[in-house]
Amino acid sequence: MPERPRVLIVDDEERFRKTLSRLLSSRGVQVHAVDSGEAALEHVAKQEPDVVLMDVKMPGMGGIKALAEIKRRHPAVEVLVLSGHASVDTAKEIIELGGFDYLLKPYSIDDLMAKIDAACERKQAKYRA
Amino acid sequence: MQAHKLAALGELSAGLAHEINNPLAVIRQEAELLGELLVPGILERFPDGQDIQDSLREIIRQVDRCKSITHNLLNYARKNDPIIQAVDVNEIVEDMVRLVEKEAKCRNILLTRDYQRDLPLVFTDAPQLRQVMLNLLNNAIQSITGRGEVAVSTRRGGPSNLEVRIRDTGCGIAPEYLERIFDPFFTTKSPGQGTGLGLSISQKIVARLGGTIRVQSALGQGSTFTVTLPINETGSNHA
Repeated sequence: MPERPRVLIVDDEERFRKTLSRLLSSRGVQVHAVDSGEAALEHVAKQEPDVVLMDVKMPGMGGIKALAEIKRRHPAVEVLVLSGHASVDTAKEIIELGGFDYLLKPYSIDDLMAKIDAACERKQAKYRA
Repeated sequence: MQAHKLAALGELSAGLAHEINNPLAVIRQEAELLGELLVPGILERFPDGQDIQDSLREIIRQVDRCKSITHNLLNYARKNDPIIQAVDVNEIVEDMVRLVEKEAKCRNILLTRDYQRDLPLVFTDAPQLRQVMLNLLNNAIQSITGRGEVAVSTRRGGPSNLEVRIRDTGCGIAPEYLERIFDPFFTTKSPGQGTGLGLSISQKIVARLGGTIRVQSALGQGSTFTVTLPINETGSNHA
C-alpha cells in the first residue's frame, strides 16, 4: 500500500467536498476533489488516484456512468460509491461495472477510511498478482 | 387499493430517505471536523468546554438516529424478490434466538424454546425470514419491563404449513391499536426507540413468502405473534 493513498472525491456539493477533504487529509490521505463525473475523468487521465469516492446523483454524466468510464479507461483505479440511496439494483450494477464497494450515507469517517484502506489493498494486490 | 397505496408510500419513503441522507452526511462530517478542530487544550480555556464536547457528541448521536430511520425507510421500500431455497425453519429461528439471547439475559428475561423435531424443509427466502424473526424477537424483548419470559416455538400448523410462535409476557397491545400495528410508521414505543416500520416490513416479507402473521394480545399480559409459512410441495421431509 502506498505511504499516502491518493484519493479523488467526486461530489457536486461544495461543502461536502471541502470538509471531507480536510478530514481525509488529517488522516494522511492525498486528496483532490472535483464536482462532476466529467471533471473526474479529466483528472484521472492526468493524475491517476488509487481510489475514487464517487457520488451517484450529479448533474451531467452522473456517478454510475462516470464509474463505468473510469473502469473502462483506467481499470486499476478502485471506485468506491458513496450515495444516499441504497438499492439492490444499483449495488449490483456498481459491482458489475467493476466498482469496489458501496457505502450508504451518512457514515463515520472511520468506516470510510476502512473502505479506502481496503480498496488500496486490493489495488496493490492486483499489482502483485 | 391498500397494496397500491403501500407501494406509493414505499416510493415516496425511498425518495425522502435519499434526499435526507445527503444533508445528514454533511452534518455528520461537519460535527466530526469540529471535534477534531477542538484539540485538547482549546476546550480547557472555555468555562463550558465540556458542554461543547457533549453537544458535538449529541449531534453525531442524533444524526445516527436519523440514519437508522432513513435506512429503515429504504429497507421498507426495497423490492427484494425472494431467493427461494430449501430452509430448515428450526435452524433459522434458533440462529436468531441466539443473537438476542445475551440481551434477554442482561434484562432478566427467560428465553425458552420448544421446536418440533422432524419438520419438513420449507422452500423460502432464508435472509428475509431471518429478518422477520429477529424483528419479532426484538419486539418481544423490548415489550418486557423487568423480569419476563419470551417463549419461541415451532410446529406443523397443518398439512401444508408450518408455524413459528413468539410469545412474550410483556406489556401487551391495547385492543384499539391491534388493527394498526402493521401500518407503516405506527409505533407504541417511546420516541427514538422505534421507527414503526419493523412489523410493517415483516408483514410485507411474510406475505411475499406466501405466509401470514397473526397476533393475539391482552394489555398488561403479553402478546403472541404467529408466523405461518407454506411448505412448498417440492419440500422433502427433513430427517
